[in-house]
Amino acid sequence: MPTEGLTFSQDGTTATLQMTNVPIIDQPRWPAMDAETTPASMDFKLVFKATSEPVKYEDPLRQFRFEGFKANAQLEATFRVPSIDFTFKTDPLETSKCDFAVIGTEVNGKYYEAPKS
Amino acid sequence: MQFTLDPKLAKDMLVSQHHNQRGSNLDRRHLLKLGVASVVAASLPGLRLKAQSCAPPIPANHGLSNGGSCPYPIPWLDKNGNHNQSPAPNVELSNIFHFKGKLARCNGFHGMGTDNKGNRFAWGNPTTDYSYMAGEYWAGRQARQGIFTHT
Repeated sequence: MPTEGLTFSQDGTTATLQMTNVPIIDQPRWPAMDAETTPASMDFKLVFKATSEPVKYEDPLRQFRFEGFKANAQLEATFRVPSIDFTFKTDPLETSKCDFAVIGTEVNGKYYEAPKS
Repeated sequence: MQFTLDPKLAKDMLVSQHHNQRGSNLDRRHLLKLGVASVVAASLPGLRLKAQSCAPPIPANHGLSNGGSCPYPIPWLDKNGNHNQSPAPNVELSNIFHFKGKLARCNGFHGMGTDNKGNRFAWGNPTTDYSYMAGEYWAGRQARQGIFTHT
């Protein structure tokens, strides 16, 4: 994706991911193996705001380390399924909630160095 | 990402872009690529979806071949047929292996919305998840820069 789709506040504590007319699929019977799909599209705006609570998730065996902060994330979106003349628009961003969100940095795979014990 | 309307309501809808779905004619690596391409297409007004090829090019005249630019999947998720797992504490949050950079993930959205007939529905479920990964990844024997999203 191009850089303009993802923006950060000056202090780095807020990130905004915003896209328009993203091609997606409407797949009501997912995850059934034979679930049929219908072309659809969506616009969305997602805002992550870091809290002051730090988090660090690391697993040397699986070679990853995430360091950052718990966050609040809110979303507004519009979905369109033209073939069935269906459109759904969420209420404004501020009215949404999410159960889990984190924001930070990660290293994994060849970029990971295990802590020296 | 998936959006489900309240299952108690008569009209259900699931809009999803699953990179880990099975039974598709597209393999999982292609789906990841397609997902990336869809985001690229989405940001350009009037541009329709076109899959960006990250497959290794076939060299002409006995040229070198070091692989394509496709991001490498998380090995222990890939072997189970998945490209990602639901975000939670102490799990691998990235969808890309050999990655370093900025990352954020979230899931479990809850909200309300309105359809084009004026009906009010709840949206979101525990697997309504989003992410971005912005930074450096290693593929085709070289470091590459990219911004990816899982929607």
